[in-house]
Amino acid sequence: MNRSLSFDIFRYAAILTFLAISLIPTVWMISMAFKPIAEWQASGADLTWWPNNPTLDNFRFIFGESGSELIVALERTAGRPILASLLAASFGTLIAMGAGTAAAYGLSRFGYGGNLPLALIQLRLFPPMAVMIPVMIMWAFLGLIDTWYGLALIYGIVTLPFAFWLMKTFFDDMPREIEDAALVEGCSRWRVFLRITLPMMRPALASSALFVFILNWSDYLIALLLTTRDWVTIPVYMASLSSSMTGQLYGAKAALGLIAAVPPVIMGIAIQKQLVRGLTFGALKE
Amino acid sequence: MTQPIAAPASATPEADTSEEKRLGLWLTLPAQLLVLFIALFPICMQIYISLTDWSPLDGIPWYRAYELWIGLLNYVDLAGDPRFWSALWRTCIVMAICVPVQFFLGLGLAILFVDDFPGKRVLYSTLLVPMMVVPAVAGYMFFMLFQSGGPVNDLLSLFAGRPVTIAWLSDPDLALFAVIVSDIWQWTPLMFLILLAGMVSVPQDQQMAAVLLGASWTRRFFTIVLPRMKTIIIIAIAIRVIENFKVFDNFYIMTGGGPGVATETISIYIYKVTQQELIWGYVAAIALAILIVLSIVSALAINKMKGAK
Repeated sequence: MNRSLSFDIFRYAAILTFLAISLIPTVWMISMAFKPIAEWQASGADLTWWPNNPTLDNFRFIFGESGSELIVALERTAGRPILASLLAASFGTLIAMGAGTAAAYGLSRFGYGGNLPLALIQLRLFPPMAVMIPVMIMWAFLGLIDTWYGLALIYGIVTLPFAFWLMKTFFDDMPREIEDAALVEGCSRWRVFLRITLPMMRPALASSALFVFILNWSDYLIALLLTTRDWVTIPVYMASLSSSMTGQLYGAKAALGLIAAVPPVIMGIAIQKQLVRGLTFGALKE
Repeated sequence: MTQPIAAPASATPEADTSEEKRLGLWLTLPAQLLVLFIALFPICMQIYISLTDWSPLDGIPWYRAYELWIGLLNYVDLAGDPRFWSALWRTCIVMAICVPVQFFLGLGLAILFVDDFPGKRVLYSTLLVPMMVVPAVAGYMFFMLFQSGGPVNDLLSLFAGRPVTIAWLSDPDLALFAVIVSDIWQWTPLMFLILLAGMVSVPQDQQMAAVLLGASWTRRFFTIVLPRMKTIIIIAIAIRVIENFKVFDNFYIMTGGGPGVATETISIYIYKVTQQELIWGYVAAIALAILIVLSIVSALAINKMKGAK
């Protein structure tokens, strides 16, 4: 659009200013995660923006190795919540991708399930909080409260719209000549889907699965309502890192927050190209 | 190259052999069942419970909630519940501030990023980081930042030249400001991402012609680029409005809806009634009322968008 030098200078200045402000929260959390207790407890004038004596004590602490300076030992360590988050998010992704991919193919090729696009958009539209009462009752009835598979099931349903819409746009884009050729060769429809279509779709499947995983991993509200003790996920567990006796364990929370934040950021950057497609339900493709 | 898709390229295909019919049916079945499982039964249950005064503490199972039948009384209560209306109003205010700010910041950034310059890729990726941070963790980050002895006050002290100790999260107005800041921080990148994709997809030829005719940059932007981005702008704003209406994670972690009810949005309000006051019959009524209103609004919006095409 504009090529002048002054515009270039303005552009860099504006972007870097915005970026500097936008990075403050992230930088602060990283810094807190590596601060020893004396430094993360400091406030006001004693505040330091970068750890003077960087340490891994906070990470050791949340995994149960009681740091020398922290008198309290954790009743429950972060290992189990991390496992819970991993299991629920992974199997939730499996459910969403399995049902979503199959349905997207069924609609894209055979015209079945014409009600699904709209139904799934509406599912996406409603606040989860507005359907949680029946879900909590049903989950209690089915014995799914406070289990990783109960959480995985609801995650699979909640992210099904994204999996379905993403895969639908990919299938719609895919040329049919190759499938048709295989059909002429005498392959069954089912075999064509399993042996030709799905392998061709591997990149699309991978980026959609990562996208869905990020969404599942990011949940807080559902886990807050459906897990109580054994299978609480990372964000729910984080609240337990403070008590009336110890106050806010800032350093420990920052360390755990960093562990929770890293996977989705890496995955998100890896699938940057598909983010727009996923977020806009395929209305925009890159 | 990015391109907006108005409608599927081809008409809905039809299965012609019986094998294809069978496969089409089986492939779509799991998704259909999951949708039914989460829609049909829960909605019926929700309607039923909303007509009773049932609470999980009553010691009777939910299906015997008819023993506590109160008819439409929950809905009458809801209409006169000031906390509900103020939570709804607050949610709308938050939306009315967050979405425009995110939109204009995102649009501004998109303009800066629309053509190539050295370092574009790295800056672009770094800008997107906030939206990928787990919202609950983001809430926690801002909880730390806004402590009275925390870094925000530290920065302000630097500019003011004297120690600043504002208790951000315990003052009703400032707490609302703080949670709004956290939302803007997290979701401006999303607006930027979508608007940039839309801006890049505007065809170049007309703009070139306009350049040759001597049209200024602003004129080109407002008469060529912006009108072509209409659909994308509507989509981007709609996504943020929908998500903003649901907002819970970062707000709840930063303030728990407080101080008092100063940052209580509709989701936080429902959560609190669910978990703390445990009147699930009433919660079901609130939830249903919201579902009905949202269904009507979305049906109108979808119809209008169809009409516009």
